[in-house]
Order: sequence, then C-alpha cells, then structure tokens
Amino acid sequence: MEVYVNDKPVHLLPGMTVKHALTHAGLIEKLGSGKKVYDEWANELGLDGALSEGAKIFVR
Amino acid sequence: MKKWPTAALCPLFVFLLSIQAYAQSFDLRILHVNDLHGFAEAYKPLGSREPLGGVAYLAGRVNALRRGQPTLVLAAGDMIQGNNWANMSQGESVIEAMNAMQFDVMVLGNHEFDFGQAVLKKRISEAAFPVLCANVEGLDRVKPFIIKEWSGVRVGIIGVVTEETPVATHPRNVSGLTFLPVAETVEKSVRDLKNRADMIIVLSHIGHAADRALAETVKGIDVIVGGHSHTRIPRPVRVGDTLIVQAWEHGKALGVLDLTIRDGRVVGYDGRLEAIKPQPGSEDPKILAIVERQRQRVDRILNDRIGEAMIDLDGENVRKRETNLGNFIADIMRQVSKADAALINGGTIRTNISRGEVRIKDVYSVLPFDNYIVAITLTGKAIAEALEHGVSGIEEGEGRFPQVSGLTFAYAPSAPKGSRIGEILIAGKPLDPGREYSVATNDFLAVGGDGYRSFAEAVKSSKTFSVVGGTLQGEKVVYSDSGRWLRDVVVEYIREKETIAPGSEGRIVERP
Repeated sequence: MEVYVNDKPVHLLPGMTVKHALTHAGLIEKLGSGKKVYDEWANELGLDGALSEGAKIFVR
Repeated sequence: MKKWPTAALCPLFVFLLSIQAYAQSFDLRILHVNDLHGFAEAYKPLGSREPLGGVAYLAGRVNALRRGQPTLVLAAGDMIQGNNWANMSQGESVIEAMNAMQFDVMVLGNHEFDFGQAVLKKRISEAAFPVLCANVEGLDRVKPFIIKEWSGVRVGIIGVVTEETPVATHPRNVSGLTFLPVAETVEKSVRDLKNRADMIIVLSHIGHAADRALAETVKGIDVIVGGHSHTRIPRPVRVGDTLIVQAWEHGKALGVLDLTIRDGRVVGYDGRLEAIKPQPGSEDPKILAIVERQRQRVDRILNDRIGEAMIDLDGENVRKRETNLGNFIADIMRQVSKADAALINGGTIRTNISRGEVRIKDVYSVLPFDNYIVAITLTGKAIAEALEHGVSGIEEGEGRFPQVSGLTFAYAPSAPKGSRIGEILIAGKPLDPGREYSVATNDFLAVGGDGYRSFAEAVKSSKTFSVVGGTLQGEKVVYSDSGRWLRDVVVEYIREKETIAPGSEGRIVERP
C-alpha cells in the first residue's frame, strides 16, 4: 500500500503500521526529540496504529 | 367495583411506559478503550517524560465515571495481543482483567486472531461480556450486534472489524472465515435493528479514516466508537449525523462520551479523553492484584527452560562477522518462510546465549524488539546491493552488518565502501544478478530500516496482495506474519529441537 509521510510517498506491506512508515521515511528518530505523528485531521497517532491506502501522516 | 382484566391492562401499561420513556430525556455515558494490546502496566512512550496507562488506573477511573448513571463500557478491539503480559497467556490475562472491570461488550480486532482460532474461541468463551463481529462468517460465539436497554430506551451496538484482517495476520489464523464488506454489513445490521433499537452505536475496528467513510456512507448510525488506527481524538468528531470517537492506544487514555437521548435521538453530547496516569491511590486494587499476579506468571514463564545450548552462542560480534547465533536465527527465518535465503541486520541481535539451559528470557534478551518475519523476492543484483550496504559500516560497528542463511559471500573490509563484496553463492551456486530469489528478513529491514533500500524497493513494486494457498502473497512478497514476533518463533524452534549447537560455517568470508 502507498501512504504519505510529510507528503512523500512510502510503500508498505499490508498490516504495517505508523512505525514502519516512519522507519521507511527515516523519521522514527525524530520522535525521541519531542516530535509527534498526526493524521490528516491533526489527530495524534500511536506508533502501532494501522494505516490504510492513501493515508497521509505528518511528523511535526 | 369493576375491575379491568389484567390481560387488557398489560399492553396499556407497556404503552404508557414507552410514551413516558420517549417523552423524557435519557443520559447515557459511554466509556471506551481500544488497542490495549495487553499493555497492563504503565510505561513511558517514546518521547514522553512520564509514564502513561496501566489497566488498574484505567479501571479506577472507569469505576468513578460509571457510578450512579447508565453507562456502557466498550472495547473497540485489539485488546488481547501485543505486550508480553498478554502474549504469555495468549490473552487470557486480558480477558480476566476485562471481566473484573465489567466491560459490557467488545468487538474483535484483527490482532484478536493472532493466536489462532482455537485460542480465540477459548478467550471468547471466557469473556463475561458479549463479543461482536458482524462482518465475519464462520466464527462461533460472536454476535453481529446486541441490544442494551435502560428505562425503555434501546441501544443497538453493532461490531465490525477491518476487511484487511486476512492480509494483516497469518492466513492460517483466518482459514475458513469470510470477512464481509464493512459498509454493507453495517447497513444490513442497521436495517435489522430498525424497529428494535432507538439508537445505534457501531463498535468498530476499521481505523479512523474508514470510520469517517462509514459515517458518510451508511445512514442511521448515531455513534462510532473506533479503533485500529490508534488515533487520539480529543473531542468527538461529527460526520453528518454521526459522532466518531477513538481513545488512542495501550490504555493511555479513557474515552468518555456523554449522550442525551430524547425520542430515540441523540439531542446532546459532550466527549473527552482522560489521560490515564499511574497515580498512587487512583488504582482499582482488584485489578492491580490481577496485573501483579499475571506479571508473576509472566516472570515464571520467562524462566521456563525450553532447551539446551551445547555451546556458547555469540551475539556480541554480530556487527562485525558471522556468528553462530546469527546463523541460527537466520536459518530459522529461512526455514519458517521457506525462502531461498535469509538476511538480517546484526543489530537485531542484542546479546549472547551461554552454553547450558536456555530459558525463554534468554531468547527475549537476544531479540528484544517487536520484529516479525517477512520474505521478499529480490533479484540477485538487489541481494548483492543489500550485502554491499550491509558491510559498508563495519568500521563504525554499525548494526547493519548482515547475518545470513542459504547464501555465502566474501568481502574485503579494507576495500572502499561500495566495492567490498566479492563472490556470492546461493545454494552453492554463483548468484545470478538477473534471477529472482526469495529472501527472508524482518519487517524493520523490509521497510528500509538500517538503510536496506533493496527490500523497500521490492515492496514498492509489489502493489497488490492476496492470500493464495494459505499464504499472503504479492508480486514481491512471499511471506509475512505480523502476528508472531521473531523471538517467539525462535522460542518455538528451540523448544521443538531441545538441544542446539549451531556453528560458524564460513558463510561470511573476510578477504584482505
């Protein structure tokens, strides 16, 4: 499936989660420095959260 | 005095009662959690300065909030699998805690299937509350919906799980089950409940985006209590006439939704998330006792002897050379996934196993991360690139150094980065750059972790997935089991073999 991290496409296997998307995008380390992950409606997401095709998530 | 016949009075009485119920407003409180994943104890999430969660503290808050008013306590799926506290009892500990907390109803999440159907049926039989799943056919004991009633107000609760469950857990866990489309299933259930319920709640484990789409598609849903996407929704979201809520994950928050219902309609609402923190005195002692007792059980299980190592297993040098422990784990991954080869990053392996008795905790110390096995089809060229990348950080002791199975390779650590790899053999034959091979790895590398882009590129070109012959398959994916951690696969293997003595076999040859 294709999801978007900070507007950049990332390809994942079914069953993969926010954690996998951030690893792919090289952003997982950012969370240790206080950044958080949000969905397109500005809701915070947990790292084990499921993603669906076309999901847009943001690290900020 | 003339008396009315009793039989004539009864319908009139019921009618008057129902009129009264409709005329008055009724306040209903919904308390909800989702995606607990067995996190019974508080922990400090990545980036957080304080511990959050703890089911004893969650229970304490539930007790306080349900006191003195009609309340529904709902679980929106993925409750029983994830953390060791739950996994060691295959979710039994979670059901025990949920029974003691007097949950009213739960919907199945995709991870409820991870221990297999026999275990799931046992957990359902142990639950003192109904378990819902309207869109799964073939699973006994689950209900599509239930109806709860207070003072003549009837609340229908429909449960649905993600349609992607068959590709999100190992196919054997859902063998023989049919997962129906969510929207059509809910639409049908809403129709079935039309004259039997005054309001409809959908207890969903489909993710927040899908919840919003469901609210737009299916009319007649008053509230969707969601899970699956681990979304922290601080206030209820309104989509059309439907309220949508979700309470993050791991019991770090409790969702509270207060509804005012009149004439079968929600005429007022107020909702919030309450952070759950382990503050002494706020816990439910009964639940705390369950958590402690089950934790002691986990400790005992972790001490279980599963086999014997006839030699020391080297987990220390996995970032700079082939080791027998690296070989052992890579061999298991290759064998389980039936791949041609296996490649993992040495950094996955964190410590040694000493000669002698092997206990579960030893394996858990070696493999502390929540990784699972994935097998991906790579070209010979991509395998060579992956190995080249793997040996490119040896000077710095980087965790990307490969441990392999099913293949051998030579490399020159003193050569410039990018041109260190020499001859590569797979099954004893020279690697063919144009041929495709299946390669087992872990989910971390599969998405490009530690810089392994070869796997990520292959995943990118594998666009569609389906279950074929009992296995998840895509163009480039031949195996994926997100419901079973690699460490548990290794534990099972050692338990089966009883004695282990893996060697270093010259799979990775250092050349000057």
